[in-house]
Amino acid sequence: MIISSPATQFNPRVFALGLIVAGGLVILLLALARVQLFHAAHFDQREEAQSLRRIRVPSTRGEIRDRHGRVLADNRPSYDIVIYLEQLPRESKKFDVVRAAGQTLGTLSRALNRPVTLSDRDVRIHYARRRPIPLPVWQDVPVGTMAAFVERASTLPGADLIVTPVRQYPFGSLAAHALGYVNRDRAASDDEALEQYYYYQPDTVGKQGVERSLDEWLRGSPGGRTIRVSPGGTMVGEVAEKPAERGHTVTLTLDVRVQQLTEAALAAAPLRPGQPLRGAAVVLEVETGEVLALASVPGFDPNLFHPGGAAEPVRALFADLNRPMLNRAYGGLYAPGSTFKPITLLAALESGRSHVEDTVTCGGSLPIGNRSFGCWKREGHGTVNGMEAMRRSCDVWYYQKGMATGVEAIERMARQFGLGQPTGFDIGTEYAGLVPSAAWKRRERGERWWDGDTAQLAIGQSFLLVTPVQMAVVAAALANGGTVLRPFLVKRIETAAGALVRETKPEVRGRVNVSARNMELVRQSLLGAVGEADGTAHRAHLPGLRVAGKTGTAEFDLSEGGQRRRINRAWFIGFAPYEKPRYAVAVMLEEADGGGYTAAPVAQRIFAGLFGREPVEVAGGGGD
Amino acid sequence: MKRYLQMVGRMDWVMFAAMVLLAVGSVLFIYSASYRGPGQEMPDLYRQQMVWFGIGLGLYVVTALVDYRVICQWGMMWLIAGIGSLVLVLAVGTTVNGARSWLGWGGFGIQPAEFVKLCVIVALAYYLFHRSPETRRQWSTVIGSLALVGAPVVLILAQPDLGSAMVLVPICYGMAFVGGARVKHLVLVAVAGVLLSPLAWTQLKDYQKARLTVFLHPEKDPVGSAWNLNQSLIAVGSGGLTGKGYLQGTQNLLGYLPRTVAPNDFLFSVIAEEQGFVGSVAVIGLYAVILFSGLRIAMQARDRLGTLLATGVVAMFFFHVFINIGMTIGLMPITGLPLPLLSYGGSFVLASMTALGLLQNVWIHRRIY
Repeated sequence: MIISSPATQFNPRVFALGLIVAGGLVILLLALARVQLFHAAHFDQREEAQSLRRIRVPSTRGEIRDRHGRVLADNRPSYDIVIYLEQLPRESKKFDVVRAAGQTLGTLSRALNRPVTLSDRDVRIHYARRRPIPLPVWQDVPVGTMAAFVERASTLPGADLIVTPVRQYPFGSLAAHALGYVNRDRAASDDEALEQYYYYQPDTVGKQGVERSLDEWLRGSPGGRTIRVSPGGTMVGEVAEKPAERGHTVTLTLDVRVQQLTEAALAAAPLRPGQPLRGAAVVLEVETGEVLALASVPGFDPNLFHPGGAAEPVRALFADLNRPMLNRAYGGLYAPGSTFKPITLLAALESGRSHVEDTVTCGGSLPIGNRSFGCWKREGHGTVNGMEAMRRSCDVWYYQKGMATGVEAIERMARQFGLGQPTGFDIGTEYAGLVPSAAWKRRERGERWWDGDTAQLAIGQSFLLVTPVQMAVVAAALANGGTVLRPFLVKRIETAAGALVRETKPEVRGRVNVSARNMELVRQSLLGAVGEADGTAHRAHLPGLRVAGKTGTAEFDLSEGGQRRRINRAWFIGFAPYEKPRYAVAVMLEEADGGGYTAAPVAQRIFAGLFGREPVEVAGGGGD
Repeated sequence: MKRYLQMVGRMDWVMFAAMVLLAVGSVLFIYSASYRGPGQEMPDLYRQQMVWFGIGLGLYVVTALVDYRVICQWGMMWLIAGIGSLVLVLAVGTTVNGARSWLGWGGFGIQPAEFVKLCVIVALAYYLFHRSPETRRQWSTVIGSLALVGAPVVLILAQPDLGSAMVLVPICYGMAFVGGARVKHLVLVAVAGVLLSPLAWTQLKDYQKARLTVFLHPEKDPVGSAWNLNQSLIAVGSGGLTGKGYLQGTQNLLGYLPRTVAPNDFLFSVIAEEQGFVGSVAVIGLYAVILFSGLRIAMQARDRLGTLLATGVVAMFFFHVFINIGMTIGLMPITGLPLPLLSYGGSFVLASMTALGLLQNVWIHRRIY
């Protein structure tokens, strides 16, 4: 034992040591307060940024229905075979995920007799970026494959069958151009920044027609799940979930029955061999502007575009020279030909310088300036008055009366009918068309306006360009006595639960400023064109139904595949019943014999279907 | 027997209570640091720690009751024994995490370096106690003290265990200071040490250099050496005022705070994450109780020997606490120094409890009965 003497009571050096210790502890406390109290929010954020991931859950697209509630577009389940990379059996943590996936995929491939299309790179990228969400191996597998998979599923950890919604169009190609189609939203999924914080599952996005125009209504709002992941990126728990909201239901003015019969009528157009079926037909309700049918041929099947589908048929659609993806109803411009004559006649009568009683002798052509302008009927119509000239579509009468009326008055009248400007149609991107004038020609072509130009304009040629939808609006205005309506396809938008969000009311875009008497004369002349045996539109005639209408045949120089040839655009516009018009119809075929021979019979089939009658063979008529 | 009971009665119970609370906290949070979620298998480190505390309590009582003057009469023999154990570990020790620091028999192993700290304290106390008031003020006090720890420092560095080797220096300094060395000498030697440190730097292994400097630039190398520091900072910071709750620390449970270090070197981060600033203050408060109790004991010891012993223990505790907690928030370099009583690890638990036993010893024997 050490024998020692007691220490002094106060030891300043121990006290100094105490100060150092106290100082040290205070420093620790202050530093901890800084981290835990003043910068807590910052570290909270960093903690969340590294351990929380949001998984975007795409919403289900809303339905598209026809006016009677028949479903034109909805969603069906697609059965996808997927693998969860983080659940694959692995011998050790170091075992490469690509090899593990390869083993499972190989087993699956042999069992289901399907080739694997995923590359090692796909697997690695998915593993790095989207580990907790399933990696699709085969999408939309048939029932047989599904059954084969389910039998083996229990022996294949990490493989699973999931159901995802896929857009489907129960009527196939029906009204395809009006409805449009959907595709994966590639632009968004390529966004690297988004993927940093999201495990992104891409939405489908509307690409044409209603699907595109109403995309923001149809797509709904995506939901999300917030999950916690471990440092390795493996999901360890779910923090929050917000269910995706289903898109809105869109009800169209379209009537499936009318659309079907309109497409059938176009398909039955009397074309000669070598004349491709390319055209459009539009059926409007005369009093409201509601579009009952909007057809464009050739068409396509929007079901082809689903994400698991083959790429080849889709590529073929876009490569086809007949351009089946083009909506000719408002996406194509054509000269209206003689279907423009009702407008010319109204302008002529309103000018006061011409009357329907005025006769002109048609010898098959008319010299204007130093050129000769032919009538479509080479042998001439003989002496015709205004009513006969409309019925039999005499060009010479219109050359003369058109020149007497003048380009300005005709142009004004055309504009009153809504030509040369968009109709305000509610979906897609429509063409405005072109109504020429002297000023326009000077500006655009640097040439003066000749009398011959006026003569050409009077018969709907010259520089005039219209869309079938515009001509359907013209037909409706002629039917209802001069009210120019905005054509529309979308009747109603409702939430998925059925609450009304938006309803389209008929909209009057303008009134044609003509006397009732003149309007009535023109309407009568159109009645004759269909009803009389010598009317050019007689092939649209239906016994027992008073159809009024006008055919048109516009010459067009087509250059296709390096060759130029002159073809005829065939037109028909009209309405029925004459006494109390309900439907206005416009038919256009890009390449045909002529309005009377080709377009009028199509219209007859449409009217027959609309009024529940049988189409009949009509002799006579034809021509322009 | 009655004498021993009387001695137990004279114990510093407040300091004892602080020690017990830290031990309870240790078991609780080692449990949390090994927890993987409900129903998941987990390592039973917390049970092992309980066993260590049990053994430690025995050592504590023995060390507290045998008069420190008896313990210290073999002063230099303790140091020789310590040096011997360090030589032994270098010769036949087991290498864990790149350092040959374990002496093991079967499944049971200890780290002699932890006990050498105690040996150094006893030997230094013996050495400084025996210097006369005249000789204390000579250069030899500082030089002699440093020479005394020189061999252990070199041997521990050879393992290599930088942290444990470094601890010996402030222990030595603290004791020499209280033992009466001139401040001028202490400062001059410290300056010389700083000037020579670049030389020492070249002797360090790369991972040691990285760990020592990463706290200066934690953003530089976020997945390498800075990972632990960054994750610890996030754990501590996201704990906020009141913490995420017991077994709720996501940094800890999900393994962002690596599971290899959470129960030992970074146990404080687990506590700070789950109990927040309130928990941090509680931990520091408990250490404050021990440290200031120790300083009071140093002040009231019956002789200089007791004062020196108590000073050594306080210096050791303080250095461990300051470096460890400082390291979890980027204030200090990452040196792998455990937190006394809290961190998982048998040897240091035993060494810490023995050291506290020594403090109690000095307190119990502060008067001549």
